[in-house]
Amino acid sequence: MVTISEDALAEQPTYTESSQNDVVLSVQGVSKKFCRDLKRSLVYGVQDITRELSGLRGSHNEQLRKKEFWALRIVDLELRRGDALGLVGKNGSGKSTLLRVIAGLIKPDTGIVTINGRVAPLIALGAGFNPILTGRENIYANMAILGLSKAEIDERFDEVVEFAEIENAIDSPVQSYSSGMAARLGFSCAIHTDPDVMLIDEVLAVGDVRFKAKCHRKLSSLLELGKSFVLVSHQSHAILNVCSSALYLSDGKFIATGKSHQVMTLYEQDLFGGQGHVADNQLSLPEKNEEDSKGIDIVQIQFRDFDGKTLKNVDVGSDVVLCVECKVHKAYEGINLFMPVREIGGDNKLILHMSSYYDNEKINLRPGNHEIRLRMYSLGLKPGLYDMKVFLKKGSFFTLDVVESFRFQVSSPKDLITRGTYYQQRAWEAVCIDENAC
Amino acid sequence: MANRDENKPTVTNDRPKQRSMRKRYNSHIVYRPDSNMRRPLKLFMTMWRDLLGSRELAWQLTKRDISAQYRQSFLGIAWAVIPPIVAAAGFTFATNSYVLNIGETDLPYPAYVMFSTALWQTFTESVTLPMQKVVQAKTMLTKISFPREALILSAVGQVLFNFAWKLILIVGMFLWFRMPTSASVLLAPVALVHLIVFGTAIGTFLAPMGALYSDFAKGIPLIMSALMFFTPVVYPIPSSEGAFGLVVNLNPITPLLVTIRELATTGIVSDVSGFWSSSILAFCGILVAWLVYKLSMPYTIERMSS
Repeated sequence: MVTISEDALAEQPTYTESSQNDVVLSVQGVSKKFCRDLKRSLVYGVQDITRELSGLRGSHNEQLRKKEFWALRIVDLELRRGDALGLVGKNGSGKSTLLRVIAGLIKPDTGIVTINGRVAPLIALGAGFNPILTGRENIYANMAILGLSKAEIDERFDEVVEFAEIENAIDSPVQSYSSGMAARLGFSCAIHTDPDVMLIDEVLAVGDVRFKAKCHRKLSSLLELGKSFVLVSHQSHAILNVCSSALYLSDGKFIATGKSHQVMTLYEQDLFGGQGHVADNQLSLPEKNEEDSKGIDIVQIQFRDFDGKTLKNVDVGSDVVLCVECKVHKAYEGINLFMPVREIGGDNKLILHMSSYYDNEKINLRPGNHEIRLRMYSLGLKPGLYDMKVFLKKGSFFTLDVVESFRFQVSSPKDLITRGTYYQQRAWEAVCIDENAC
Repeated sequence: MANRDENKPTVTNDRPKQRSMRKRYNSHIVYRPDSNMRRPLKLFMTMWRDLLGSRELAWQLTKRDISAQYRQSFLGIAWAVIPPIVAAAGFTFATNSYVLNIGETDLPYPAYVMFSTALWQTFTESVTLPMQKVVQAKTMLTKISFPREALILSAVGQVLFNFAWKLILIVGMFLWFRMPTSASVLLAPVALVHLIVFGTAIGTFLAPMGALYSDFAKGIPLIMSALMFFTPVVYPIPSSEGAFGLVVNLNPITPLLVTIRELATTGIVSDVSGFWSSSILAFCGILVAWLVYKLSMPYTIERMSS
């Protein structure tokens, strides 16, 4: 168990004074057990119901019955007004179970969940949509399920339709909608119920890029209004963009909590089999098995200066070389690197995309270790945290290896103020051009 | 981090007015692992609050389900009245050709069968619809916490809606056969409510288990059709001599069904005490069923998801 940073929550600029009253959600020592065997699970269900009805069920249901396991084991968390908490972990680590316990859908086996306010689970978008009915009818039914009265739905109906961008299709049956439209409508319904705490489970993965950006903007504006949310996502940039703090679960157990980028770093280290190392603007990857390898594997990414020395700090405006080290098992011709860069904490827009393919460079590799070097003159990225993906492809289509996320920090050597979206290498001078005066 | 804070406006000063609705719901909620039976007062208050809170949702769900149900159907609402007509035609034909030997009924036989079948069907629906609603709402139940009572209420709503159409059939039948009625017909709806409460109690009681085991979905219709033959639906009340007569007379649905029929026609209720004991059973039953349903649903949802 690692607590990375105690001051993560204290860093929140808003509402810190009355912090105790502002706790909207508190989870204390919550555990939940599940059973993998369906038949047995149903029998246990009947057992639990009997114990509930007879009042025999106590607060500590610690014993695992046959074939049961802990889906969630003694998890604590606290969420204040205006907080956004990212929940990370591999599949089956208990993230969704935790959300379902918080939403009050299932009862915990141990521990207590306390909520001050209204919880809207966005766990499912459009749950309760009936495909035969029109968008209009479904908005009324869906928002009623989410807890709104008719008058309240009337009041915000237009907002919902406008946000979902389905004005033209509002009176057509939902089964005629595209999946994106249905998802937009679902998101719009859920977000307009005015909850205090939103539980968001991977739902931002739907819709096109533009709508996703719109959702992110909406979420951050709600955050500023003092709403809180818990976000589950496998995409690290989604969590890093929205959440200031994060909680890392593995096999139902609490592993770490703290500032989101620190937790994400830890999580990704574990994801790379415990051997990978992400720190100091450097990423090392474990060697692949022969079955997994397609002939070329990326083993390390780092920055060097023009003299070949490894750089731990990448300064804005400096000359750097981005080095991608590959282990080549099989000779390839026409290798290309694709490296899209996004800013962490930004609105997920592509900041920079560097590719040998776009630059009409062809790389040929023979077996052995190689370092593909990209010289970058006077780095134009402004100071901040960045997330880069690295695709190693043959031609532009056949992917040989991918690094999902390489995060690096561009620092400012003299703590200069940088505004705008990129850094222009520059120097100031004042020159007298009046010949007589100088 | 630095970038993020820079772009983020400070919001302490201009926190906007919250919409008024917020306070109404879930203002302070605690989820605990131990049985809710250990805090009965709180449990009853929650049940009452959820019942009140679910009225509007139930209305929306009823509307949604009814309109969806008939939109994809050619005969539409006619399905509410077709079964009693078919039953009446079938049994009348069978009786007239002496295949069935049924004693004298106090109403013309086709009317008797049609009226009784309509009532029986209403009873059957009130047993099966709560279970169906819970199974149908599976995705909703496993994802959204809404007052679970809404599903039961919407089932009742649909039963009443369907009965309204059967009522047209019944009124038509009264006019066609020129059957006399008395003022007591105004009391018939009260007895009908008791019948629906009885059925809903059974349905609600079984709903959580029905969502776990599909045996219920298969078994209940079977039991209902068997039960029909132990209830005076297509035949008059037998005397309580003999095993069959005894079973029919002990059947708690018999006095409810018979009383509705009698109130609507002759106005002379033959079994007042039977009616009231069945009614008390129905109302106590619905309270117990509600409690069981309320407490069981989280466990059912846990097992049927997600």
